[in-house]
Amino acid sequence: MTQLVLHNYDLDDACYRVRLVASCCDLSVELRNVDMFPGMEQVSPPYLTLNPLGRLPILETAEATLRQTGAILLYLAGLDPQKRLLPTDTSELAQMTDWLFFAEHDLSVATTARAISIMDVPGDGPATLAQTRALLRIMEDHMSAQDVKGLGFFAGAEITLADLALFPAFALSRDCNIDHDAFPALRLWARRVRATPGFIVMPGIPDYH
Amino acid sequence: MSETGWVPIALSRCIAPGTSAGTAVHGAEIVVWRDTGGKAHAWEDRCPHRGMKMSFGFVRGDHIACLYHGWEYDETGTCRYIPAHPDLEVPPSICVTRYAVAEAGGMIWTALPLGEMPEVGPNAPEMDGLRSLYIDAPLDAVLAGLHTLALQVTQTGSLITATLGETRPTLGLHSIDADHSALHITLPSDTPTAIRLSLLDQLATLRRDVEAPLKETAQ
Repeated sequence: MTQLVLHNYDLDDACYRVRLVASCCDLSVELRNVDMFPGMEQVSPPYLTLNPLGRLPILETAEATLRQTGAILLYLAGLDPQKRLLPTDTSELAQMTDWLFFAEHDLSVATTARAISIMDVPGDGPATLAQTRALLRIMEDHMSAQDVKGLGFFAGAEITLADLALFPAFALSRDCNIDHDAFPALRLWARRVRATPGFIVMPGIPDYH
Repeated sequence: MSETGWVPIALSRCIAPGTSAGTAVHGAEIVVWRDTGGKAHAWEDRCPHRGMKMSFGFVRGDHIACLYHGWEYDETGTCRYIPAHPDLEVPPSICVTRYAVAEAGGMIWTALPLGEMPEVGPNAPEMDGLRSLYIDAPLDAVLAGLHTLALQVTQTGSLITATLGETRPTLGLHSIDADHSALHITLPSDTPTAIRLSLLDQLATLRRDVEAPLKETAQ
């Protein structure tokens, strides 16, 4: 298979989503570590040539340069010969996509809240925290309903790309002082995600299983 | 708060064997954890070493370990192992404070005042845990909202039974602190899935209604 190159920063949760999905799909990705904090290397001239948006992750494939995390995740899940993270059922695939967009679009405020909290990025800390908490509550309500239906994951009975895309925001929420006390359904779900073959952690997510 | 007696602090099914979670009762922080043998524990949520929350830690067999430095405590709350000094016989005076714990009606309970060990356990009917609903409002406001929404509301101690639509859930009342509450929602085990889902929607509406006036005041 062609070599994949991930421009990566270990403490960035979007880069972690890519490493996590690659690992769970048993794909090898070459890491190029970028000094995002405090070096801001992602907005240096060579990196702006690679990604004018000035952010990570960036995945270079033999044919293209991908810079939207969601697109990178879908590409990796499609490369997996077993396609284990992509439902075959059309409705489940739609639900997976719904939550994938939630993770990449709505939940990006969680990334912002965490960056304000631990990386000195300017922004409205209390407002982003309140929004993050409201989004985690939407996830908690959904998983409470999934529990009633006997479904252990966001899009159905099996883990999909959506679960791995959503996991970091919940697992890292303590970095901005949102603890897990009020999210029992998400705690049980996170435990199931952790049991996925290939699951890996990042700094800030304790590895205790 | 002068409340005494048993209070529910979690749904039994939400604390899986080998896991821990943090909560609070009237502002006092508690770690609820279940050992791998299935026995539930409720302790003060503080490691005597550096004050770290034990609920951030992890369960190993019948011990719970602190996330900071891995100090491990046995089911009596006594420290048994300090990883930085693996050969040390740990002095038995290093202990986490334990509280009363019981399981009944699909819920885990502790007793107030914390540290009290009642001889008789909580009295609750056999039920299935549905979900714990956390609400950013004082328990009084939640109760007022429940009386508006539900019919035939009857309260015994920390339990409320109320008619909501086609079902009659039993709700465990939990005051987390002056501004936060939880309802531990249980149902008879033969309740159909569609009715369970409809109850989830009604209770989410209750949460929205109870929180809305408080949010307006805050703005």
